[in-house]
Amino acid sequence: MDNHVFDKMKNIERIFSPTSIAVLGANKVKGTVPSDILTNILKAEYKGVVYPVNPREKHISSIKTYKYVVDIEDPVDVAVIVYPSSVMHMAIEQCGQKGIKGAIIISAGFKEVGGQGVEREEQIKAIARKYGMSFIGPNCLGVINTDPAVNLDASFARKMPEEGNIAFISQSGALCTAVLDYARAKHIGFSKFVSIGNKADISEIDLLYYLKDDPKTKVILIYLEEISNGSALVKAAKTVIEETGKPVLAIKSGRTKAGASAAASHTGSLAGSDEICDAAFKQAGIIRCDDIEEMFNKAIAFTYQPLPAGNRVAIITNAGGPGVLTTDASIKCGLELPKFNPATTEILKKSLPKTANINNPVDVIGDARADRYNVAISSVIKDDNVDGVFIILTPQSMTEIESIAHEISRISSQFSKPIYTSFMGETDVAAGIDILQRNKIPHYILPESMPIAFASTYQFKRMIEQKQEPLKIYGDVSIEKAHSILNKAVSNGRKYLPEEEAAKVLEAYKFPILKSGLVQSGEEAARLSEKFGYPVVMKIISEDIVHKYDVGGVILNIESKNDAEAAYSRIVDNVRKAKPQCSIKGVLIRKMIPPGEEVILGLKRDSTFGAVVMFGLGGIFVEIYKDVSFGIAPLDNKAVEKLIGETKAAAILSGARGRVQRDINSLRECIFRLSQLALDCPQIKELDINPLIILEDGKGCFVADTKIMI
Amino acid sequence: MDSHEVQNRVKKVIANVLKVNEENIAEDANFIFDLGADSLQSIELVAAFEEEFQIEMPEDKALEVQTVSDAVKFISQFLA
Repeated sequence: MDNHVFDKMKNIERIFSPTSIAVLGANKVKGTVPSDILTNILKAEYKGVVYPVNPREKHISSIKTYKYVVDIEDPVDVAVIVYPSSVMHMAIEQCGQKGIKGAIIISAGFKEVGGQGVEREEQIKAIARKYGMSFIGPNCLGVINTDPAVNLDASFARKMPEEGNIAFISQSGALCTAVLDYARAKHIGFSKFVSIGNKADISEIDLLYYLKDDPKTKVILIYLEEISNGSALVKAAKTVIEETGKPVLAIKSGRTKAGASAAASHTGSLAGSDEICDAAFKQAGIIRCDDIEEMFNKAIAFTYQPLPAGNRVAIITNAGGPGVLTTDASIKCGLELPKFNPATTEILKKSLPKTANINNPVDVIGDARADRYNVAISSVIKDDNVDGVFIILTPQSMTEIESIAHEISRISSQFSKPIYTSFMGETDVAAGIDILQRNKIPHYILPESMPIAFASTYQFKRMIEQKQEPLKIYGDVSIEKAHSILNKAVSNGRKYLPEEEAAKVLEAYKFPILKSGLVQSGEEAARLSEKFGYPVVMKIISEDIVHKYDVGGVILNIESKNDAEAAYSRIVDNVRKAKPQCSIKGVLIRKMIPPGEEVILGLKRDSTFGAVVMFGLGGIFVEIYKDVSFGIAPLDNKAVEKLIGETKAAAILSGARGRVQRDINSLRECIFRLSQLALDCPQIKELDINPLIILEDGKGCFVADTKIMI
Repeated sequence: MDSHEVQNRVKKVIANVLKVNEENIAEDANFIFDLGADSLQSIELVAAFEEEFQIEMPEDKALEVQTVSDAVKFISQFLA
């Protein structure tokens, strides 16, 4: 960790746990942000010292008030600044002079308003840098630390949340207040709560590294509207997850496509920003959520209960219908409903009425009181075949709702297997739900939410248990050769390398490519075809044509000298008709690759996440099938398996429906080599290998066509 | 009107609007940072300057005036 990063971490620690705070711009006008910030600090019973700063007031809330921060006699750890943006540079300058290393800039009027605001933000960043100061914001709600040793509420939220183990980072201040309200109703507590606003200095990435080592935080939640450095975010989240096993859950808004930019390659058009974001999050191990409810449904499962050892769940219910719904949802989520051990079945048989269902799901029947739930939960949770229990309750006239909630809480505290609950309804079950929530038993309004949350924890556990393998680096590649081809093209102002040249770049990275030759006449075509041996394929080579099929620029299965001569003329005629102005470099001839499955490999340079590798079903219908998946280079073993496994192509290559098992190992090698090429050659903006033809198992694969955008 | 007189009258206006002691108003004092004006008072100041000097200050430009010396310079343009 370099000094700068180290200082930033120290500064962030100061911001969350300051020994003293100055509130610059505090005032006496109740109901205003400057007043409420100071009030919240006082109301939360902050354990340090507070210094209001206001040039006109002698005292605010009976606390001595200073004209300037530099007038405060004692050292100050952190400044909370609520001055208007027009004077923020003066405030930051004085904070720097005072030796303050951490600030929370609440005020708006910076980058988010454009124009002068952008300049102001740059100005305060420069001043902060000069003094080695780090800051949260500007344009944010503030910071909360519920640690009783600190009790800091430096925000203008309505109420301080309960203490807990969830850290919440949000780019939206308004969403923060809604989340606080939502969480309070469910007794969900937080360790740290931070609104990062414009994240001009401290970003979600810095906070991830900070929270990694925060002993109070077990789960990290992030709400993002914009990702400024995707690859750094991925790296930070990966570090947190791999080093500490803390799950990172994120909502990235803006899922809907604003329209992918016009792209020349298949990869370019298929790799929209959201698909790339999805792939990057998955690769990092970030659990992406669609909404706040899903995020908290999963967060409470992670925070309150142990991770499940396996995917086998037992369902206990007093209502058949919800039991079936939960069973369906469990199966859909990849969970299993195991058979119980005979001993468990025996206990259930003895203790439950004859009409009860003693198999999984266990139906304790509508008139069940606490004793039936007790015996069912206690016996099922002890069963070796069960990794977790879902408890469903519907409120009948005799249902002992609160007693059952207490029993669940008591039993849960005795076992290291997760128990989730769904007390269905609203008013009748409210008291029971409250008991469960106070006792940190995950509760879900809809029973179907239990398997979704459980599956998420189970998948996370499997992921963190997988061993990390070192990245594959091939030593037989020639970076120099690839660079020489690419740099020459770049210096000539070219944007596109047609197949003939693109193939040379791939050859330098030892992709399997059959020999080819470029010809300028029918006679030459016939001669070269004879040399290669039949059948051959012929393709137009022109910098003006990206999709050769669309202009009749490809002829396959040419079997004779005469056919080769005729094919040359036909291709040139087709292209001339379709694109009269295009310049034709020649026709490429290559021996036909034996039949196999056609897949596509692609590469796209994304401004946020870097080099994105694509894999999927290939051929001319690639954009129609859209059976593709994405990964961020460098790809490790796990990422390559995921890349292949997420597509339908995986089943086809594995010999589904009696098809031939294909050489997936050779495909893996191509993906690793493409990942290496992506990192070594930043000149490549987009690349398609389409199709890559995968032969029978053990017989390899061949690049049949390729193009590169630079 | 010379700039000294403009400055004295500007200070009087500021003292009156912001309820601060005229003697404590430095020439380079910032209305917000040094004298504690809030956003509403910044607007009130512009209105008070207009009334005091019988001028009309364009709103967008007037709100860019942040210090006593800024105000003196800005108002002097209208009095020239």
